[in-house]
Amino acid sequence: MSVSPQLQAAIAAHRFGLGEPDLALVGRDAEGWLAAQIGPADAARGSGLLDTPAALRLVAEEREKRMLARNPPPGTTAEQVLAGHYRETLIADARSRLATAAATRRPFAERLHWFWANHFTVSILKGSTRGLVGAFERDAIRPHIAGRFEALLVAAVTHPAMLRYLDNWLSAGPNSRVVAREARRAARQAEGARVSGINENLAREVLELHTLGAEGARSGAYGQPDVTAFAAVLSGWRIGREPAADGNRFDPNWHEPGRKTVFGKSYPEGPEALHQVLGDLARHPATARFVATKLARHFVADEPPRELVERLVAVYLSSDGQLADLYRELIQHDAAWSAAPAKLKTPEEFVVSSARLLGGGERMFERPEVNAGAAVLALGQRVMAAPSPAGWSDRGEDWLGPDAVWKRVEWATRIADRAGRSIDARRLAAESLGPRLGAETARQIERAADGSQALALLLLAPEFQRR
Amino acid sequence: MNPDHRQHHDRPLQSPARRRLFATAAAVTGSLAAWPTLTLAGAAGPGANRLVLVILRGGLDGLGAAPATGDADFAAARGPLAHYGAPPLQVDATFALHPSLVELHAMVGQREAAIVHAVGLPYRERSHFDAQQVLESGGTRPYELTTGWLGRALAVSGSKGLALNTTVPLVLRGRADVDTWAPSVLPDPSADLVARLERMYAGDPALATALERARQLRADTPMAMQDAAPATMAGNGPRPRAFVTLSRRAAEFLVQANGPQAAVLEIGGWDTHANQANPNGPLAAGLRQFDLGLAALRDGLVAGGAWNRTVVVVVSEFGREVAVNGTLGTDHGTGGVAFVLGGAVQGGRVVADWPGLAKGQRHEGRDLRITTDLRAVLKGVLGDHLRVARHSLDAEVFPGSQQMKPLQLVRG
Repeated sequence: MSVSPQLQAAIAAHRFGLGEPDLALVGRDAEGWLAAQIGPADAARGSGLLDTPAALRLVAEEREKRMLARNPPPGTTAEQVLAGHYRETLIADARSRLATAAATRRPFAERLHWFWANHFTVSILKGSTRGLVGAFERDAIRPHIAGRFEALLVAAVTHPAMLRYLDNWLSAGPNSRVVAREARRAARQAEGARVSGINENLAREVLELHTLGAEGARSGAYGQPDVTAFAAVLSGWRIGREPAADGNRFDPNWHEPGRKTVFGKSYPEGPEALHQVLGDLARHPATARFVATKLARHFVADEPPRELVERLVAVYLSSDGQLADLYRELIQHDAAWSAAPAKLKTPEEFVVSSARLLGGGERMFERPEVNAGAAVLALGQRVMAAPSPAGWSDRGEDWLGPDAVWKRVEWATRIADRAGRSIDARRLAAESLGPRLGAETARQIERAADGSQALALLLLAPEFQRR
Repeated sequence: MNPDHRQHHDRPLQSPARRRLFATAAAVTGSLAAWPTLTLAGAAGPGANRLVLVILRGGLDGLGAAPATGDADFAAARGPLAHYGAPPLQVDATFALHPSLVELHAMVGQREAAIVHAVGLPYRERSHFDAQQVLESGGTRPYELTTGWLGRALAVSGSKGLALNTTVPLVLRGRADVDTWAPSVLPDPSADLVARLERMYAGDPALATALERARQLRADTPMAMQDAAPATMAGNGPRPRAFVTLSRRAAEFLVQANGPQAAVLEIGGWDTHANQANPNGPLAAGLRQFDLGLAALRDGLVAGGAWNRTVVVVVSEFGREVAVNGTLGTDHGTGGVAFVLGGAVQGGRVVADWPGLAKGQRHEGRDLRITTDLRAVLKGVLGDHLRVARHSLDAEVFPGSQQMKPLQLVRG
């Protein structure tokens, strides 16, 4: 590596982490600082956080309320019966996500957690997923970010949040027992069957968004028959109305009987077939390329250097998808340490790295005037509410509209008005950016009219907006 | 905003009971990304024609929105989806509209709306994300083009852009970048700070350009427009009426003498994999909101005297499978429906080369077969209404579409 230790520290802190108020926290061995962070993500901070069984109970309670809402008690409306059921959980989850990132001493691991939570998007915008997104991140993503990709894939795809978000809990094999039963009931009561077969939403998105990628479909790696057969494999993976005590999410009554052929390979009936298909998907070269490209794009550049992607693909394939090996390769590769920052921070990255810069960390978000969730929303990215299963964009152009940039200016102005009087922005700029602090930015901060303006300029500096 | 104008939109349909019904339905079914946005673009001269593009993201079920009730195979092909909880609104012997589409049906009756059926993109796969890329870019394959057909059309016609949104949808990206602007809830940074930022961004062209455009837009925008934050900016949970509010705002911008030439409204929630036939389910509720939004748009444009100069095109990235799936919904398909409406439209008809619904007549045995290329619809509107020359349409707006004749949908 040709860059100086100070510059390496600055790159490590900002490109791979979430910024530090003082690069001394990174030390002289930046790569070692990052490598030491590779492992499961920190436990989430905060209170009022539900684990998956508790979150499922909350969902079950909401279902009971909905039954009640059909005949609301006198003097109340259905809206009143249902109002605010998830409010405390949603606030606790969003606050925890931001506070954990603001306070962590392992920001690289936290960034990797964000990356995978976005790769396996579940969103509170879908009603059936509300209340489960925080539990999904804590139970399915955080523990699995540095193991094998296959383990992460299984944890994400079989979590109740994903099974609900992409409709698999409603999908039944056309020849399953539940469909036969439902057909008899419907005939008896002379009405349509509520469940009659497959819903292929999850099958398609696992292939397109989680493993092989859309490129995989375009290059003919899979087609409609594979989607249909994979959906049959997935049938029965659902959360029943009564979640099983052992956490088993497979219901054989909903499963399509018989063997299924996916990608020309035959899989048995039953729950183990899903693990086999996901294992085969995890080992597929198209998955290696898709994951490697996304990882390099996230950390290095919107159009990542080809040789870096090729190295990551090779490591993925030779290590059987060991994600820790992939991260080590990433931080050892020269292309990842290019001096010029190519990536624009997302609103969430900007708000959290501002909090870390100002030293308030976790505590900063407890102050009523710093509603970080509202800030991220105002900047165009609602926490845990990605607009589609594809997740948030990882390309700068999607965050660089004039209005989006203006919103950053407005927010930085407000934060700096409150914090700027007690903070020396000149010193903070030197200590947090090190050799990345450019002459023009230093000059503008030096010449600022007052402390607040100096701090606003630091937060808005290209060196802080980019990473 | 003129208070009389606002009152004008308080339509009897939105009684409290109706609102409550909707809120309950939304809570029960939930919806994916039903977060509508508005983007305005292009500066038109006074009296110039206006174009509104409505993108229904998620893949609208064309046969759900516009059922072919007169097709002999319809009932068998659709099964439980052939029932709507109320009679469909008949358009002609073959076609009807979903019972939620009351306003649109009235516009068809007034010959101000046309239904284009069995329509679709050159793309024949079933990925939302690839299909939306093709829909917005105007290419024939995903990622073949990186700018949008409307952006290129506006550039060809010499229009300079303004967009009311934090981000610019692909369809509006073109040679001339579109600027973005949205009403703000945050304090206005001082001019002094902005001047210093401009110096600081001298070495970062992307940030410098964004800041400069934002500053100019704010200087040029009348204060009255800066008042109300649009529905996309704040609040929690799905907002059933957000599309109506945004449609009304779009009309307010479009009727101004120097208003934008084009507006893009985006509304999600059409990925109806489940519970589609339920009269309070996601499709019925979404169509109701969509229908009220179209009415709000029309009323605003009528009040401002611009309706006769306006064409509204409603598109979605693909249609859905003809047959019901296992959860009373439909999975991703290809052929679907588009709507073209406005005072300038030759309406009152269904434009379709109907392929039929029997299994052998479907694409891959599954989907409504595409017999009309959506680009022919768009070329017709851009050519006849925005006066984009045919050679530009063939070569720049929809490259390689020389063979495709524009459909005539706009009054001559």
